[in-house]
Amino acid sequence: MKFMGHAISILRKDILLEIRGRESLSLMLFLSLLLLVIFNFALDIDIDNVSSLASGILWVIFVFSGILGMGRTSMAERDEEAYLSIVFSPVSAESFYIGKVLSNLLFLLIMECFTLLFFAILFDFEKIISLLPQLLPALFLGTLGFSLVGTLFSFLTSASRYGEVLLPFLYLPVVVPVILGGVTSMDIILNDKVGGADKWIQLLAVFDVLYFAISLILFRYIIEE
Amino acid sequence: MNIIELRDIKKQYHAKTALDGIDITVREGDSVTIFGSNGAGKTTLLKVISGIMSPTEGKVFYNNKAYSESDIKKETFYLGHKTSLYNALTVQENMHFICRLFSINHKGEFVDSILKEHGLWERRSDPVNELSHGMKRRLALAKGFIINPKVFVLDEPFTGLDLKWRASVLSKIKDLRGKGKFLILATHLVEEGYELADYVAFLHKGRFLFIRKKEEVDIKEIKEFFHSPGDDLG
Amino acid sequence: MKTNRVITILFFLLLVLIPLDFFLIFKVAPTEKVMGDVQRIFYLHVSIASGALLAFTGVFLSSILFLWTKKIAWDIAACTSAEIGVLLSTLVLITGSIWARPVWNVWWTWDPRLLTTLILWFIYVGYFLLRSGIADKFRKAQYSAVIGIIGFIDIPIVRYATKWWKSIHPLLTQNGGGLNPVMKKVMLFSITTFVVITIFLFFFRFRLARIEERLQILKKKMED
Repeated sequence: MKFMGHAISILRKDILLEIRGRESLSLMLFLSLLLLVIFNFALDIDIDNVSSLASGILWVIFVFSGILGMGRTSMAERDEEAYLSIVFSPVSAESFYIGKVLSNLLFLLIMECFTLLFFAILFDFEKIISLLPQLLPALFLGTLGFSLVGTLFSFLTSASRYGEVLLPFLYLPVVVPVILGGVTSMDIILNDKVGGADKWIQLLAVFDVLYFAISLILFRYIIEE
Repeated sequence: MNIIELRDIKKQYHAKTALDGIDITVREGDSVTIFGSNGAGKTTLLKVISGIMSPTEGKVFYNNKAYSESDIKKETFYLGHKTSLYNALTVQENMHFICRLFSINHKGEFVDSILKEHGLWERRSDPVNELSHGMKRRLALAKGFIINPKVFVLDEPFTGLDLKWRASVLSKIKDLRGKGKFLILATHLVEEGYELADYVAFLHKGRFLFIRKKEEVDIKEIKEFFHSPGDDLG
Repeated sequence: MKTNRVITILFFLLLVLIPLDFFLIFKVAPTEKVMGDVQRIFYLHVSIASGALLAFTGVFLSSILFLWTKKIAWDIAACTSAEIGVLLSTLVLITGSIWARPVWNVWWTWDPRLLTTLILWFIYVGYFLLRSGIADKFRKAQYSAVIGIIGFIDIPIVRYATKWWKSIHPLLTQNGGGLNPVMKKVMLFSITTFVVITIFLFFFRFRLARIEERLQILKKKMED
């Protein structure tokens, strides 16, 4: 299918760009690690409270590292107006959007896996790795939600005078439902709380569908001047 | 016969009128050079022609049809002030990416031959940000040869190039003319622009002072316009 | 001009409506048994909230119409509505706080409704941050329309998510119980008044924005 073929081409290009330029993923990983250290001081994490704090800490890190990373990849697109070569091609705005969503999703997921690993190591919390299969659906759907909204918004804010600085102001309020879903369902699973995790995962799926539909329609208005 | 037609195009920025009633018709194979000083609206006009920018008022026609922006975009190669290249990728990777977007086979000789033709072959494995300014401009233009569309819209293609590079870019653009492409060029370099044109136009404060056949305008006249544009208009 | 006549009519209508509304709220509506007189702010609170919702709906519709027609007037309409929406939702948050203090004994509670209003407020303040950062008029209009649309669609999503989130945690408070028939009528009247106020503000500000726009163009022409 041509549609997906184009999206995959853009994904490939972004992976290549990351390998050559190391501008996005490496910064995200570095920020994640740094935030873990900061949280350790700020919250005085130990064996007793690690389980109840884990979900909140992790999702805050996911959100902020994600903002940094998605902001970078969009800036790389705006640099030298490189994205115009995509705009001037037979690639539809929709394929362009999906390609960018896929590459952001990939980088976010890699960052999250590393963050989980660091977390398990630094706070001696192996449970989170062993529970990974149960955590995965919410993690994936939440990250997809981040990427769906973040791709649109980071491309939008990168054109402004304030650049990436503006991204969190627009992006954070809009993705509150995704953050809520991610944090809550992970907390339920990690701490064996009763019920609700499934419902949240379903909700996240619904949110993703909604965000996908709106962003897919609106993306074309961001790449034309 | 293909025709690009602009009818009463107006474009407004915040409080500034960049284009103020532009009418122009371009026939296939004809080459138009638009002269004008900085801020005359050349870049805006070219962006409207190539469909990146929608005008505040007026319409763009392509083959007598009101073309949607996305359609005209696909018929057009636009080279602006920026190169539209990915700086971190190598010369070849940039080209291969373009090929993928346009479903052009990049494994064959085609890309290599164009790189050779444009003197970029030796630098094919270098990242774009290690190239000199002239090389970058040349690579950006070479992209157009790969895509090979009907319309070439070139905004100041000679900016920042030394004489040697300028001559080589000029000869490449001449090649395009030979192939019967639409060529719409904006520049403030009178000699080069004049040489490439069939029609010359002078843009001042968002309006055409004139559009004429090259034969009807002397190169000296254009130079004078740069010194005192619109004197006779008051 | 047509807008001028609308503004005049609405102005005189409000000269009657607003005093009447205050009279109804403070004199006619019965004092609530548990909460006392403080409950009267509730009429204003709910009415302002309806006005804010109307304004944000205005942003949403104007944004869609802008993307459709590309007419800059729709962008001015969207921006005007957003200004009114931010103003009113700020008032909603303030009146809510004033009401919550004596009734719930807190200034703030993480009630889904409050939370949604706050997030809404953030979204539309962001809308103005974005506008201030883009110089090109058309691009500014285009991008803020995107935010205007996605922000509005996000409201029910946020509302639903926060509600579901709260339903897991114990609910601390319940909003005021049933209203008696007189109270209901006063409430309805008050909401109507504030809807008219919102519409009036919109036209008033819209006209001003159009004049500003024309002035800027004229100024620029003079400079040239």
